[in-house]
Amino acid sequence: MSDLFRELGQHLYDGDAPGVIELTRKAIEQGLDAREILNAGLLPGMERVGRDFKDGELFIPEVIVAARAMHAGIELLKPLLARGAGPASRKIALGTVKGDLHDIGKKLVGIMMQGAGFEVIDLGHDVPPERFVEVVSTLKPDLIGMSALLSTTMPMMKNTIEAIRAAGLSGKVKILVGGAPITQAWADEIGADGFAPDAVGAVECARRLL
Amino acid sequence: MTPTELTQRLRDRVLLLDGGLGSYFIAMGLEQGRAPEAWNLEHPEQVIEVHRRYVDAGSDIIQTNSFGASPPKLAASGLEGRCAELNLAAVELARKAAGASALVAGNIGPTGRFLAPMGDATEEQLEEALREQASALARAGVDLISIETMYDLREALAAVRAARDTGLAVLCSMTFELRPRGVFTIMGNRLVPSLQALRDAGATAAGLNCTVTSDAMLTMVEQTREQASLAPVVAQPNAGQPIATPSGIKYDADPDRFAADIGRMLRAGARVVGGCCGTDDAFIRATRRAIDTMVSADG
Ligand code: B1M
Ligand SMILES: [Zn+2]
Repeated sequence: MSDLFRELGQHLYDGDAPGVIELTRKAIEQGLDAREILNAGLLPGMERVGRDFKDGELFIPEVIVAARAMHAGIELLKPLLARGAGPASRKIALGTVKGDLHDIGKKLVGIMMQGAGFEVIDLGHDVPPERFVEVVSTLKPDLIGMSALLSTTMPMMKNTIEAIRAAGLSGKVKILVGGAPITQAWADEIGADGFAPDAVGAVECARRLL
Repeated sequence: MTPTELTQRLRDRVLLLDGGLGSYFIAMGLEQGRAPEAWNLEHPEQVIEVHRRYVDAGSDIIQTNSFGASPPKLAASGLEGRCAELNLAAVELARKAAGASALVAGNIGPTGRFLAPMGDATEEQLEEALREQASALARAGVDLISIETMYDLREALAAVRAARDTGLAVLCSMTFELRPRGVFTIMGNRLVPSLQALRDAGATAAGLNCTVTSDAMLTMVEQTREQASLAPVVAQPNAGQPIATPSGIKYDADPDRFAADIGRMLRAGARVVGGCCGTDDAFIRATRRAIDTMVSADG
């Protein structure tokens, strides 16, 4: 069984989506718990991808392809995860702030959040404050997650929080921020409710806030 | 200027490019997320003013405000279908500022579209789009073409092919990171083979720009030193790393240190130098002094 998980993690690391689909199916057929398939198979594979990217062993194409394979696996697990004892379904809207086109990290956060049982609305990248405000008032997510990868777009997080406040919606939604240049100190300065350094941390932080 | 003419000129002397345009425009009120190219029509006098600062600081070549003026990139910033118009305006403004004191390079950046496995664009599509921009710049009368900040070698090669076919001299720089295993683009293209491929495709000079500070770029340029077939090399580092402060973005480098590193790059074989993000006329002025002192010391 642990061999199956190890193999699953390896196929994910290699970005082999068909392999991930096949092994995830196999694990489901063997009656393994969906949460365990995710936590012991897919997640460790993706975490290794993240680590090796940081260490300079992998490049962007490998990260993208692995994220796609992870997504394929999660799609199979989703119906089962929803039935399991996950967190009561909470809604999270994620977006990269206006002026910023980096969306790989945000996508990973979304995938991990889905894996953890949250309902995720992906607003994409280059999302203006007005759009976040509109989403908060119409779709009523429990949490807004903002990502920024550029020092030049970090201030846009502040603008967005101010826009949400100005619209009188700040009590209605929690705000989580992240991205490579973001720190806890920055999150505190702009009045965000939480900060996470990586996708796993983002899930933990969302659980804590909700 | 033909490739042969530029090669000739680089044999005799080093050429100094300009520095960043974006941070000037932001300081002058360009809104977050707005395409700087729109200013070629909306605020032409500001664009000329920034170019003029670089001419006054001693740039031999200034680059047009058209980094994002390829058709796909314009479409993504709400300026669809305005490639010819915005590139023409960009060239006219640069020409006004350059007068007889500097050459004008038509600047081309990445389209923002991704090739497989990241995206669904094909090399043919990118080449066609970049060809549209390169011809618009050539028709508007640039002296040469400068392609910058490319991160995927396949797109960079498409750009070089498109630019080369105008008959003008072509500079092409890619953006590299220093990694434990060597110098790579984010897509995993290695430094020396990439520059070689760009030269083979017809770039008159190839090199590096953006992402890293001058000391890191010096390390990179030194790796091209043993490769005679890569000379002349282009090098345009950033002014340090951007830092977000409550009052705005600051870069942490010092113009004189920057210029000293450029001096070392010239000794390592760079022949076309300048600045990228965060650099302003102070960096170019300091670099001008460093070049001129070197020339008088050597000659
Ligand atoms: C909601 O709560 C949360 C919680 C946690 C959150 C979170 C949200 N969001 C992220 N996290 C966290 O969890 C994730 C998973 O662990 C992590 O996400 P990350 O996003 O950090 O990590 C990802 C998994 C992988 N990392 C990434 O995807 C970013 C990788 C690097 C290489 C990078 C890429 C890929 C790109 N880039 Co850009 N790029 C760089 C990056 C340099 C590097 N080596 O890291 C960086 C970020 N880029 C930079 C720059 C300058 C630029 N880029 C640009 C463009 C691009 C590409 C389009 C080519 C591409 C993006 C493709 C895409 N679709 O996303 C340009 C800007 C475009 C724009 N307007 O946005 C351009 C300006 C380049 C130029 N001169 O044209 C630099 C920023 C410097 C700075 N501090 O401001 C940069 C650090 C490179 C460098 N060394 O100079 C955590 O941060
Ligand atoms: Zn730059």
